[in-house]
Amino acid sequence: MTQQTQLFVTCLVDSLFPEVGVAVVEVLTRAGESVRFPRAQTCCGQPAFNSGYQQEARRMAQHTLEVFGATDGPIVLPSGSCAAMLVHGYIELFKEDPFWLPRAKALAARTYEFSQYLVDELNYVETSAFFHGSLAFHPSCHLLRDLGVEKQPISLLEQVRGVQIKPLEAECCGFGGAFSIDHEVVSSEMLSRRLSQVGESESQVVVSCDVSCLLHIEGGLRKRGSKVRCAHLAQILAGKSAGLK
Amino acid sequence: MKPRDRFQQLSKQAVNNPSLQIALDNNASRRRKGWEKAYSSLPNPDATRKKAREIRQDVIENLGAYLDQFMGQVITNGILVHWAENASQASQMVVEITQRHAANLVVKSKSMVTEEINLNSALESAGILVVETDLGEYIVQLRGERPTHIISPAVHLRKEDVAETFEKHLNMPYTTDITTMNAAARRKLRDDFLTAKVGISGVNFGVAETGTLCLVTNEGNGRMVTTVPQVHIAVMGAERLVPTLDDLATILQVLPRSATGQKMTSYLNWINKPRQNGDPDGPNERHLVVVDNGRLAQRRTQFSEALACIRCGACLNACPVYQEVGGRTYNSVYPGPIGALVSPALFGIQNHGHLSKASTLCGACKDACPVGIDIPLLLQRTRVQFVDKVSQPQFISLGMRLYAWTASSPARYKRAQKAVFWLMRLLPRKAGWVRWMPLQLSAWTRKRHFPSFARKPFREHWGKTKPVRVVGLSSVEEQEEEMIAPRMPRSSQEDLSGRFEEELHLVGGEFVRIKAEKLAAEVTSHFQNMEVHAVIAWETEMIGSEEIRLHSEAVGIDWLSPTLSNDVSRRIQEVTRIGKVQAGITGAIAAIADTGTLVLTSGVGKSQMASLLPRIHVVVLSSKDIYATMSEWLSIAGKRVMANTSCIAFVTGPSRTADIEMTLTTGVHGPAKVIVFCVE
Repeated sequence: MTQQTQLFVTCLVDSLFPEVGVAVVEVLTRAGESVRFPRAQTCCGQPAFNSGYQQEARRMAQHTLEVFGATDGPIVLPSGSCAAMLVHGYIELFKEDPFWLPRAKALAARTYEFSQYLVDELNYVETSAFFHGSLAFHPSCHLLRDLGVEKQPISLLEQVRGVQIKPLEAECCGFGGAFSIDHEVVSSEMLSRRLSQVGESESQVVVSCDVSCLLHIEGGLRKRGSKVRCAHLAQILAGKSAGLK
Repeated sequence: MKPRDRFQQLSKQAVNNPSLQIALDNNASRRRKGWEKAYSSLPNPDATRKKAREIRQDVIENLGAYLDQFMGQVITNGILVHWAENASQASQMVVEITQRHAANLVVKSKSMVTEEINLNSALESAGILVVETDLGEYIVQLRGERPTHIISPAVHLRKEDVAETFEKHLNMPYTTDITTMNAAARRKLRDDFLTAKVGISGVNFGVAETGTLCLVTNEGNGRMVTTVPQVHIAVMGAERLVPTLDDLATILQVLPRSATGQKMTSYLNWINKPRQNGDPDGPNERHLVVVDNGRLAQRRTQFSEALACIRCGACLNACPVYQEVGGRTYNSVYPGPIGALVSPALFGIQNHGHLSKASTLCGACKDACPVGIDIPLLLQRTRVQFVDKVSQPQFISLGMRLYAWTASSPARYKRAQKAVFWLMRLLPRKAGWVRWMPLQLSAWTRKRHFPSFARKPFREHWGKTKPVRVVGLSSVEEQEEEMIAPRMPRSSQEDLSGRFEEELHLVGGEFVRIKAEKLAAEVTSHFQNMEVHAVIAWETEMIGSEEIRLHSEAVGIDWLSPTLSNDVSRRIQEVTRIGKVQAGITGAIAAIADTGTLVLTSGVGKSQMASLLPRIHVVVLSSKDIYATMSEWLSIAGKRVMANTSCIAFVTGPSRTADIEMTLTTGVHGPAKVIVFCVE
């Protein structure tokens, strides 16, 4: 019996970093999954939810629930924050809605972040990837604290041949969605702190499970003219070169 | 100026203030490390925090009943209770009580709720001088500033700032030596402690089952203001209860650890009653003002969880935003993550709702919170209210609606992707990353590039599927251990006294193991070596008290066991005289090994001043009175003493403060030296 896995690729990967999505599909397929991509998917609604725009968030959440509700099997997202939105945010959004709440709960029960899925559900063992160099791993906040996913990405990276892993302290990169514009000064200071830590780690690539963090970090690195690049975990496992573009 | 604009202005100032940045970084790194280390000393930290959360959730759910029980007990104990519906009622009550006693000077220990009700302004308007005795509060008071942290009011200051302030207000030469500065503050404040008629304190926790007021402090000023003056007024937020003494013991395992990384603060006070017949000292009158100010109503809202807060400040220390902007930027009595929740709730969403947006929802606060308040979730809920009740910038509201409309149809979404791709082509870029974006988006590109939309989004890459392989699934079993401070059989006395000695040393106390027959001589010789000329002593419940007195008097040491007069001015004279005595000697009804704590009850012949005013505190302890943990002591012996004692002081080493640049000094207001003679 083959396992059908539904890929929710997320709006940032879809529009900004499609190569991350391609890498995710490659790794899942290598792991023996039959990957499906429900084409009607758009955005989970997190930006609206986090900003307090409840109605707008519900609209996008309902669309997502309809699209994925019509599918079977586990739903995998290459994003800790989007996965957390489906697992926790939707429950909060629909907590008083007798129609949508059961649908939200059913969806949450089969939603996984990419590294979480590989390790916890598939017991995946990485056998072909290699990376000659050092990489710093950035634990993204929602992945770590909302989903409790901490060891899984590291354990996958440790299986990559040749790699030297430098874990970074679990500190926010300063993105926070609208925060990065509304509170740009503070956001930039937090980013600056993170970039110093990256610099101190003397690594060539920063890896994370969330492209939202990575675009913030690489955006800062490029502004400074740094040669350090970012990559999503899937790109490392798929043996792709670093740099989100 | 709109509140959100003021926040922007203040945060810009803050990040561009190098001195503040150093102070905030020091606070963050020291406190975070301290938190980790302190929690690792618990046998099962997660279980303890879970228990603490359950205790506080129970209190919130049954607050009405617990308040009834608590206030009933407090009244029975002889403390006068006043219920204040709102801030101005509360501060008026305190002013009236103070005026009734014709006091024109009050000494005050740190209390966030008194900041909330603006008590100092109310007292000053009534012509009453208020002296803040917590060192950090004292410093900010001298500077005319508000505290910027729940636990460390002067965290934003460097020692140079304090030196300037002391030079200006204390008439002393400029010095950045922290020990000298602390000593100067101590001398100045001591006069006020000894001569004030009224002392005002907060209450960390009220215990519903016994009506006990529990204060948690380090400097000794909390004990001073609640013991020395004739009148004590305690002000308490209505939600600050725990149901039982056992529950208090659990919460006390997490409060010091979360706040300052200590296993136990230097002092706990468990206040039951005013001075009883036979007590040599203590305030004749105690009042409790219980403040509602919106707390009871909050129980019925989706923000009720925030009432569990025990005001430890751990969330401020964990918060990366607080670390950048500091407390002043929040422009509220309560700053930081918990402040962003509490301020809109207590002071209105119009002026404080914007605080909920000064966060990335990273969750570091939730991780640090000893009672597990889901701060990010409550912040998101506050944002919903904020958007609903306060007008937002047009372009954001329109933008959100446009986005939601676009994202609810795949066809619209795809067209939008193409449109944005083409628009972004117009922007200056380098290697696929945009260097500048127009309008409000230019805020991004000040310090960052932004990735350009891909020509071919992922959905256009999507095509084939590959042949599949069958892969097995695994199942995961989880186990949870429910274990907190296990009720172990009493450990051997040897283990316990060894453990107690170790912990006492860690907090800077001294330990002397001694046989009963050598006690008197040894104590006296210690007094002589320290050049002590007069001692305040317990007359009862201290091993060898007669013998030690005889030995000491024989070498010319004055032995005092003062009973304070009930006449206010005579009392002040007596206290001033006692205040000059170098040493105090007491017994202890128990000691607690896992924190190095001594338990001193009050009562006939047991002066509280003896362990509070002198620089040196000597304790005579029996090794058989040492218990492993506070819970153990409570269950075996502690609860029984509650009915008969007006006040219990828990002493864990010398008094201490780290309010100036987080540099630890001992011997602030309370004793600088604690010496325990452990009699086998």
